[in-house]
Amino acid sequence: MLGRLRALARRLLGVERVPTYYLPWLTRPGLECVVLLNNIESRFTSGRTATALAATLTQHDADGRVVAVHRGTLADSTATCEVPVTPTAAGHGFVTVEAEGIKSDLYVALVSGEAYAATHGRHEFVERYPAWTRALLAVAGALLAPAGRTVPAFTRDQYVYHGADSRSHVLLLNLSNVVNRIRVLATRDGARRARLVRVPPMGAAVVDVAALVPAAVSLEVTRLRLTGNAWFNLYLVGAGPRDLEGALSLMHVK
Amino acid sequence: MSSDLDALMSATFHEAGYAHLVELVHQQDPGARRRLAAVRVDAYDAAGVRRVAAELDPAQEILDLDALAGAAARAHGRLLVVFDSRYDARVFPYRPHHYAYLHRRDAPGPPLYYAVNATLGGVPDRIGAVALNNFESYLFLERAGSERYALALGNLSRFAAAEAEVITYYDGARHVAPLRLPPKHHAEVALASERDGARLRRVELKALFRLTSYVVGRRAAAGELVLFDHLFTYFK
Repeated sequence: MLGRLRALARRLLGVERVPTYYLPWLTRPGLECVVLLNNIESRFTSGRTATALAATLTQHDADGRVVAVHRGTLADSTATCEVPVTPTAAGHGFVTVEAEGIKSDLYVALVSGEAYAATHGRHEFVERYPAWTRALLAVAGALLAPAGRTVPAFTRDQYVYHGADSRSHVLLLNLSNVVNRIRVLATRDGARRARLVRVPPMGAAVVDVAALVPAAVSLEVTRLRLTGNAWFNLYLVGAGPRDLEGALSLMHVK
Repeated sequence: MSSDLDALMSATFHEAGYAHLVELVHQQDPGARRRLAAVRVDAYDAAGVRRVAAELDPAQEILDLDALAGAAARAHGRLLVVFDSRYDARVFPYRPHHYAYLHRRDAPGPPLYYAVNATLGGVPDRIGAVALNNFESYLFLERAGSERYALALGNLSRFAAAEAEVITYYDGARHVAPLRLPPKHHAEVALASERDGARLRRVELKALFRLTSYVVGRRAAAGELVLFDHLFTYFK
């Protein structure tokens, strides 16, 4: 029922969903980010004899701007291609991948000298709103923002964990061409703190959970409820005692 | 308990010295309507001997696995931890899934978040894998690092031993390691980072039926986990 209502609302608002494969990226001094292109899936299904495949990776910075376009080629179904992401001042965002015939999950690795942590991207979609809907959302968002609220189009719940020697950050990806005001409500032991994060179209933001609910000495569980006015996704960023200055891990969630 | 409930069996591994928090259900809403009907946790040592058994309150949100199984892990080594759940398909239109947090205490590295392996679903058409799901693969970066890689594998079956093959690829060269796991046994199968000067590029796991499987990366010096990830299956 809810799904049908959503589909109807999208039709009325003129929202188009463009199938898109995307991966998060994160760079810091001493921390390199690499996308591992592959088409291994085709080896086991239809493309065992696949010829060369070309992929275009469009790298969006935190402000949504395209900072680089990378290209990679796979000679066959077992080939891989490592594409280093271009570091920027903001140091985070997401990459969209265009590659006809690639169905495999692509990996993104955070390399910190002696080791790397890895996760994978998602084959979902990016929402495209027409101009009049963007204007409507901008007005509604501006009206609600002073009260710390947003248009509650999409909601996600997420547990995060942090303590004295580890912290969790949430990398928010705005998968739309509208400004996405995402309300992050943190709850722990009955205490609630909320923050409204403004993410530019096709942009990203890193939310430090410990800034919302300070990290305790012992390991604590915080429940997050994230509500946005347009489609978004999130990745969890794990940090050790040196927080964002040290090695990091990334994790997808559904 | 209703007989209309579906079953899910998911599993992970626990080692002594790690903070390990496991959510019972992902995206549980504040009203906790999306809860399991029942969940039981058992943990087995490498020889398949049960060392921990507990019924959990399905309304519980997070399980502190080290609090439950840390003493057993210190006494008996790495444990295969099995979550045997029942759920109502009207509450979960697709099978429930869950994630976990893993961090070695006092380690300089970051914690790892990971998806808990859905190993057996009880009812095949409810687990989203009606075709072959016992052939999995994983790729590695080419660059040389100092970490050690392995596959952590466990057999959740009650009666049948699992014959499996761990196949590694080094720039085209193929290496096959056969493995036999009796019921509830588990093992960490080391993957050589290099063979004849070629780097490890890919691993495949073939088994008679679905095993609990994780790709494990450890810092060479301290053995601390730096990678704990699921493999990929492309036969759905």
